[in-house]
Amino acid sequence: MPNTPCGMKSIYDCKLIEQHEVSPGVWLSKLTGPEIARGAVAGQFVNVQVAKTTDPLLRRPFSLHAVDREKGTFSLLYVLVGRGTALLHRYVSGDIISVVGPLGNGFDLGDSPDAEHIVVAGGCGAAPLHFLCDSLCEKWGCEKVTVLVGGKSKDALLCEDEFREHGVLTEAATDDASYGYGGFVTQLLQAHLDKRSDASNLRIYSCGPHGMMREVARICSEHEVQSCQVSLENKMACGIGVCTGCIQKIKKQSQGCDPAWEYKRVCADGPVFEAENIIWE
Amino acid sequence: MGIEPFSDPKSIDLTVDIGGIKMKNPVTVASGTFGFGREMADFFDLSLLGAITVKGTSLEPWLGNEYPRTVETPSGMLNAIGLQNDGLESLINEKMPFLRQYDAPVIVNVVGQSLEEYAEVAARLDSVEGVDGLEINVSCPNVKKGCLAFGTTPEGTAEVVRAVRDKTDLTIITKLSPNVTDIASIAQAAVDAGSDALSLINTLMGTAIDPWTQKFRLANITGGLSGPAIKPIALRMVYEVARSVDVPLIGMGGIMNALDAVEFILAGATAVAVGTGNFVNPMAAVEIIDGIEDYLKKMDKSSVMEIVGKVS
Ligand SMILES: Cc1cc2nc3c(=O)[nH]c(=O)nc-3n(C[C@H](O)[C@H](O)[C@H](O)COP(=O)(O)OP(=O)(O)OC[C@H]3O[C@@H](n4cnc5c(N)ncnc54)[C@H](O)[C@@H]3O)c2cc1C
Ligand SMILES: Cc1cc2nc3c(=O)[nH]c(=O)nc-3n(C[C@H](O)[C@H](O)[C@H](O)COP(=O)(O)O)c2cc1C
Ligand code: FES
Repeated sequence: MPNTPCGMKSIYDCKLIEQHEVSPGVWLSKLTGPEIARGAVAGQFVNVQVAKTTDPLLRRPFSLHAVDREKGTFSLLYVLVGRGTALLHRYVSGDIISVVGPLGNGFDLGDSPDAEHIVVAGGCGAAPLHFLCDSLCEKWGCEKVTVLVGGKSKDALLCEDEFREHGVLTEAATDDASYGYGGFVTQLLQAHLDKRSDASNLRIYSCGPHGMMREVARICSEHEVQSCQVSLENKMACGIGVCTGCIQKIKKQSQGCDPAWEYKRVCADGPVFEAENIIWE
Repeated sequence: MGIEPFSDPKSIDLTVDIGGIKMKNPVTVASGTFGFGREMADFFDLSLLGAITVKGTSLEPWLGNEYPRTVETPSGMLNAIGLQNDGLESLINEKMPFLRQYDAPVIVNVVGQSLEEYAEVAARLDSVEGVDGLEINVSCPNVKKGCLAFGTTPEGTAEVVRAVRDKTDLTIITKLSPNVTDIASIAQAAVDAGSDALSLINTLMGTAIDPWTQKFRLANITGGLSGPAIKPIALRMVYEVARSVDVPLIGMGGIMNALDAVEFILAGATAVAVGTGNFVNPMAAVEIIDGIEDYLKKMDKSSVMEIVGKVS
């Protein structure tokens, strides 16, 4: 069952509290938004208006990185990749930014206290997984949670310290072996799962580059874990489920008729999907 | 007690009539940018709209095109959705019961790959409670077979309209393609064949290329351009068509705010539709309704109809 939130999605004028660069080209911004902070669940995203003009026209989707329900604030972690993110990083404290959210369905944290949880973060995929860690710790206790965080090099590892601050067991992997485990974070996951004879009480959560999530999905299905959820980042036009632009091929639950898959909207039916249902291309 | 001190001295008449569909205000939404209303109902009460125009619907479900289907362009976007929809059964059994809860006329955008298919969809919708009009999409630029071929000639357009007219008494609104050399002659053909109203414009065919990968940005290669970038073309076409036919027009193309909408009305549209604007601001349509009323007050007008086609 997807974790569908109770919070009302709407358009909010959010005040930028502050934002700063956390590592080269990666920014963390904190905004006010009591309704979003209180209503959202981990894995959901917001659609941010980056320009006040018509160019660039469309909003940009970003995962909720953290929420503070008491203070009524939320934060985003984003990488500068193009015009939209370049505009966003120029806003200063006090600026008002239009935000639509919270959107999409979050991660399903399961209902068994015996389960163990492994969070696999690749590059900027760490953004939603920080909020997820928070929620897992709150619901099941931090001792049940392990985070595997990967990046190209030590400098490209995101949120490693933040994960550690939660008190969850955190292991890093770098592609260039400059820090932690030398190799892909998926190899680190493989090593973890190979150690176990039975993975049926394991729940895996992942966000990162497409190829990485696909590999996570493959490893998980090999080991027959209880659940393996990934958060997709398809290109979006509306972000609210009306344009059917952001589609992903998903295996059909009800069998019988051709084709055996259907298009689901990442923004409204996802962005979190059970990995075994995804048809990877 | 006869005097009500706070009553509005002059109430503004926002109602319009689109070929028999009574709209409480001149604002609807553009097909394909509002789904079937369900998602948008989280943002506002759909009864506020002059009419609800739903996504293109075909006899059988259509899967649509491969991903990527959308790409942003300067002040606009290209889409090649390929008219993905769950088909007529699903519209009748799942979408209409939801839409019937709202006090707004429903216009169903109809697509087909053959005259027979258009005719059958029209025949089936004729008796469906809550459906007030059919918008005949003869102009979808993103589907290889079918509708585009009809909409690019006066004869093809007339054939589809006649096929539908034979099957239904519902209001017929023919949606015109801008990807033609003489839109007025196609408009005339649609009206002669029995179309009660016209809507325009659909998207303009275009493409986008990524110079670094040297690949097309859309899986379908081409897509339909929408958004503010197309507004000047849409306005010109509304103006041209308004001068050549007598039926009411629904104008659209890049409407983001109330003044954009007013420009379309001045060009000759009786109603307007908000499309891509919904993506940027999901409240755009309702804000535009209020904005048109404010505009009329400021200009000392008492009705929308007073300004239709009044550009000079
Ligand atoms: C549900 C969801 C959650 C996301 N969460 C985050 C997040 O927490 N942090 C973060 O840094 N990014 C996140 N993204 C990706 C982010 O939306 C894009 O990086 C952003 O839209 C790029 O905007 P731009 O104008 O700077 O880049 P553009 O100039 O538009 O494009 C630059 C590059 O980014 C790619 N891109 C554009 N839009 C998207 C998109 N929607 N998804 C993926 N790639 C895109 C383009 O293909 C291009 O290569 C998320 C995307 C989705 C769909
Ligand atoms: C994502 C998307 C899907 C669309 N789907 C349809 C459709 O199913 N049927 C149709 O007649 N027009 C469709 N259109 C065209 C719009 O209804 C409208 O004519 C066009 O976008 C111009 O208006 P705009 O600039 O306000 O978006 C679609 C447009 C977009 C952007
Ligand atoms: S982005 Fe429009 S449906 Fe998902």
